[in-house]
Amino acid sequence: MLYACVYATILLGFFGILLKENLVMKIIAMDVMSTGVIALFVLVAARGGTYTPILNGASDVAYADPVPQAVILTAIVIGFSIQALMLVAVMKLARDNPTLETRAIEEEYRP
Amino acid sequence: MTLWTMLWVALPFFVGFSIYLLPQGDRILALIVTLVSMAYAMVLFGQPAPLSWHLLDNFGVTLMADSLSAFFILTNALVTAAVILYCWYSGKTTYFYIQTIILHGSVNAAFICADLISLYVALEVVGIGTFLLITYPRSDRSLWVALRYLFVSNTAMLFYLMGAALVYQANQSFAFAAIEGSPIEAFALIFVGLLTKGGIFISGLWLPLTHSESETPVSALMSGVVIKAGVFALVRLALMLEEIDPIVRIFGAGTALLGMAYAMFEKDTKRMLAFHTVSQMGFVLAAPEVGGFYALTHGLVKAALFLTAGALPSRSFKELHNQPIHTPIWIALVIASFSISGFPLLSGFGAKVLTMKNLLPWQVIAMNLAALGTAISFAKFIFLPHGHAKEQAVKRGFWPAVVVLLAGLVVANVAYYDAYSLANIAKPLATIALGWLVYLLVIQRLVVKLPRVLEKFEHLIGVMSVMLLVLFGMVLA
Repeated sequence: MLYACVYATILLGFFGILLKENLVMKIIAMDVMSTGVIALFVLVAARGGTYTPILNGASDVAYADPVPQAVILTAIVIGFSIQALMLVAVMKLARDNPTLETRAIEEEYRP
Repeated sequence: MTLWTMLWVALPFFVGFSIYLLPQGDRILALIVTLVSMAYAMVLFGQPAPLSWHLLDNFGVTLMADSLSAFFILTNALVTAAVILYCWYSGKTTYFYIQTIILHGSVNAAFICADLISLYVALEVVGIGTFLLITYPRSDRSLWVALRYLFVSNTAMLFYLMGAALVYQANQSFAFAAIEGSPIEAFALIFVGLLTKGGIFISGLWLPLTHSESETPVSALMSGVVIKAGVFALVRLALMLEEIDPIVRIFGAGTALLGMAYAMFEKDTKRMLAFHTVSQMGFVLAAPEVGGFYALTHGLVKAALFLTAGALPSRSFKELHNQPIHTPIWIALVIASFSISGFPLLSGFGAKVLTMKNLLPWQVIAMNLAALGTAISFAKFIFLPHGHAKEQAVKRGFWPAVVVLLAGLVVANVAYYDAYSLANIAKPLATIALGWLVYLLVIQRLVVKLPRVLEKFEHLIGVMSVMLLVLFGMVLA
């Protein structure tokens, strides 16, 4: 069930990138997609258990797998910085193309 | 060697950020980094066995360096050095050199990765570095080209990341070797990411516009090395995992033909070179065992060609036919074109012979066709009129850069001198002669406008889902 939700999020994000006309909407859709991927990592980590993997005395509980969580932290940071870069670029583009319609921009900057 | 490798990986980033503190020494510092990379690649060639590292413990970063990496690292070092030389007097700001050297470092990192996550990080940093270099002129057009690139690359990398998660779920490891025995969807997702990033087949059609609309030195850098970051991962996977090898070879042949078909009918110099990059990546993938040497040759040649194309008076072949090129520039152009067509005495010859030898029987026809296409497309350059009718000023850094690259081509030629047998020499010559004949008789008079529909932004994204399905089918078959 959870997996289905995660995949649905990813797919919705992907279709957003594909079908939305506006560049800002496309970027938001990409954010949705990357949220889905992050959720997938969290879900994979939680397969063995959901207890926070911090060693505090001997307790015999099912810990979550720390590796995917650590990995996805890196990916979150990278995704965030890429989004910041894209938004800056879109801000600059918006001065001359206030509608930010992909099709119009593509038409304009064609070689 | 461990210590040296770590120092070498960290150096470009360290130097890149220190350049901010020492802006006067930007060019020299950047050049030193490339020299260090060159030295490291040479040392790597001398190692008897592949080196591999497992940092920290089982879940740490896995690195692997062997002669395949050495070829790619050497390409990276030479091309970056040439680009820095080219820009030496151009008055580029410190910022440009910082980005160049950080890009150099991240591409280097991608060449020694042996696990999915380090590769992911390296490829994403490559993406960001490229984005910043493309936007260097700050024009709206360059912003759009860069944005489009980053969008496509980031979406592809999200698919890749999904694949990595599934691999971990199946095998509790992110190492390349863990892909074996993981579900097919994981495999397909990872491949979509790498194929897009490496500019392979229809998922690589973002490449022509990006590479042709950037500034000359950035185009040279991108086509010369950046694109190889994705291709290297595919080659590495093909060599490590046997069941992946045929799929990589199929894509190699496919992309070689596709790129060649577009390149043959292209009327714009830079776009032709960009399409040709798509085709040449196919040669690298078609015979993964010897892909390293081919990548080296291609990197040198393509960087030289992009730099030379930037010195031509026009970008349109039609206008160039009415406007003689300054003879020395023409000679540089012809040497590079000869090398890439596989003419003996230049390393393109050795690389082509080596690749042709390592093909599987079903690939032979496709790759020979692609080689013929290469000869045809480069006849366009060779048969341009030349003379010294009018002195054409070239940038002051142009000659050092091109001389470095062309000298690299001649020197690399010795790497495989066994190629010089009569049969080996006769075949490329016949191919080139046939190519020129076809060009003069047919292509030159033909005006074909191939549709650019697939290069539209939405289609680039949409093609990823198509590729995903295709890959599913291929693995299941």
